[in-house]
Amino acid sequence: MTRKPRILIGKIGLDGHDVGARVVAKALADAGMEVIYTGLRQTPEQIVSAAIEEGIDVIGISILSGAHMTFFPEIIALLKQHDAEDIPFIAGGIIPAEDIPLLKEMGVREIFPPETLTSDIVRFVKSLVEP
Amino acid sequence: MWDREELQELERQVRAWEKTCLEPTLKEKLERRREFQTDIGLEIKRLYTPLDLSKIDFDYSEDLGFPGQFPFTRGIDPTMYRTRPWLIRAYSGFGEPQTCNERYRKLVECGADEIVMAVDLPTQLGYDSDHIMARAEVGKVGVAIDSLHDMELLFHDIPLNRLKRVSMLGNSFAPVALSLFIALGEKQGLKPTDFVVDLQNDVLKEYVARGTYIFPIRPSVRIATDVIGYCARYARHWYPCTLCANHINAAGAGSTKATAFALANGMCYISELLDKGYDIDEVAPLFTMFLDERSDFFVAISNFRAARRVWAKVMRDRLKAKNAKSMSLKITAYSHGGETLLEPINNIVRITLAALAYVLGGAQFLYNASYDEVLGTPTEDAAKIAVRTQQILAHELGITNTIDPLGGSYYVESLTSEIEQQIYDEFQKVEAIGGAVAAIEKGYYVAKINEGAVRRQREFDAGARVAIGVNKYRTESKVPFGAFRIDPAIETRQVERLHKVKKKRCAKIVRETLGYVREVAEGDGNLVPPVLEAVRAYATIGEICGVLREVFGEYQAREYFSPSE
Repeated sequence: MTRKPRILIGKIGLDGHDVGARVVAKALADAGMEVIYTGLRQTPEQIVSAAIEEGIDVIGISILSGAHMTFFPEIIALLKQHDAEDIPFIAGGIIPAEDIPLLKEMGVREIFPPETLTSDIVRFVKSLVEP
Repeated sequence: MWDREELQELERQVRAWEKTCLEPTLKEKLERRREFQTDIGLEIKRLYTPLDLSKIDFDYSEDLGFPGQFPFTRGIDPTMYRTRPWLIRAYSGFGEPQTCNERYRKLVECGADEIVMAVDLPTQLGYDSDHIMARAEVGKVGVAIDSLHDMELLFHDIPLNRLKRVSMLGNSFAPVALSLFIALGEKQGLKPTDFVVDLQNDVLKEYVARGTYIFPIRPSVRIATDVIGYCARYARHWYPCTLCANHINAAGAGSTKATAFALANGMCYISELLDKGYDIDEVAPLFTMFLDERSDFFVAISNFRAARRVWAKVMRDRLKAKNAKSMSLKITAYSHGGETLLEPINNIVRITLAALAYVLGGAQFLYNASYDEVLGTPTEDAAKIAVRTQQILAHELGITNTIDPLGGSYYVESLTSEIEQQIYDEFQKVEAIGGAVAAIEKGYYVAKINEGAVRRQREFDAGARVAIGVNKYRTESKVPFGAFRIDPAIETRQVERLHKVKKKRCAKIVRETLGYVREVAEGDGNLVPPVLEAVRAYATIGEICGVLREVFGEYQAREYFSPSE
């Protein structure tokens, strides 16, 4: 029997708004995935080491504070450093449209702004974890 | 109030209308929906008549009364907006103090009554700009403040007495926020009697929504009530605590539960103050409530009216307040929620209508979101529109000419009574759990918030929660770029400024005042006087909060939320 896909949903930096993160976590859990929610104020190091230790299949980060252009490249670099760049990294929150192509170029697999249907997120995550 | 025979006659007429007029119509064409449900779980009827009011024993004198009198349903003041419209607030802040000062001056110039400082997250969490945790966050989501020096730059050429009020949220470090204003006033040659400060200083909601807690819950309540107590003695015309339903509703609770939780949080602060020896009539007038309802115009109006009634009754009957000022609830509101990324100009319409509801509900203090806030830091033009919208509502349309214009509406009065009951019932539930702190620790608030958040998202996904231009009447359109960028170099400049301040000040006085902060924190005296001394000596927010962190420890968030349940 194959195990359930394991997803990490995390909040990074000091931002305390986590409604979106919780709603997405719940939707993924309802879709049959195992979801670990980190809670607030995580650092890139904490996210990456949790992802490796827990055998995470997809990392999802929520951020509304505008600090994504610093933290996201750090997560990607840390994943590379730990030979874990095969763990896909997706994100959501208040991320200006002009930053999205830059972040994708750096290796963020997808960015989900507000007004995204949760079914679109679930479908995308499934496409990442299904063989 | 109702004549029995007249009611019977009316009931007969309603039945006749249903049979001869309504039913044939319904046979021909169905209504848009089978049920008209609100976000707070109330079902809205097709039509409201005097019969609905008679069913709830509606009584004009008891349920409404007159403005400025118990139970304050129609408003807290005998003339309301006829004397002066609500106070127009502008919530703003970004980047460095000097740049932000220019924005503030423009907002004041176009008629904002109050500046509400948005400060960055390191400031809100008691970290200086050079702290490791402040990395990448300096000057984002608000202006960076490290010490009194930054306040001097931020309010350069804006004397605090030129504003009707001045504000900072200051939820977890309220003694510092309060002291920064007192000390800034001193620098401007003003005494606390010369100007008015208001703070949010409602730390309890931070543990369940918004998330900017620092210390464990108990010491946080003490810190919050020290500030309220200090103002009760030395600045009675200030507003040191705003009970926030807003964030709890925004997070998902729904407006009636959020109002009840805010009320329960208020009871926690008040009982702590009573334990400290204050009299109820000394502290109750210092509280305001921050209410909102974003998904139903009429529920919003009724929520404000109902909240005033609940507050008045709780103050009089439970807490035995005698002073009318203790029983009359002053309301703050923020017009936001429902803004969309797509076609953001439409947000002006959404924000305007929310503001209109809050005005019809009789708010005292109002601020509007900028229509482009969903895209990033608001542009100057958008920030100005947020103020202009309120001025148009206040002066162009006759909205402010009479008091409580919807009072007496069968619909609004029915809703007001139903909502009052809902708030009261939910408040009782929290009390039965053991009050606000127990409800937080046992995960009750968070459970209700999560339920609502998930339900709202499902409604949006299913198209039942409509966002025009997004999930209804959508056209090919792209999310526009945010027009405003924060200069990434500000972090370096802010840190340089912080180090300069540290070099210039008297290290000995800073050390002594911080020692005094520690001494009082370890005892049970009021924290404001020592913190004020430290702020005057240019001790930084990080240093003061650092001492408090050492004394009180930090809140270790227990994650009440398990997605798989």
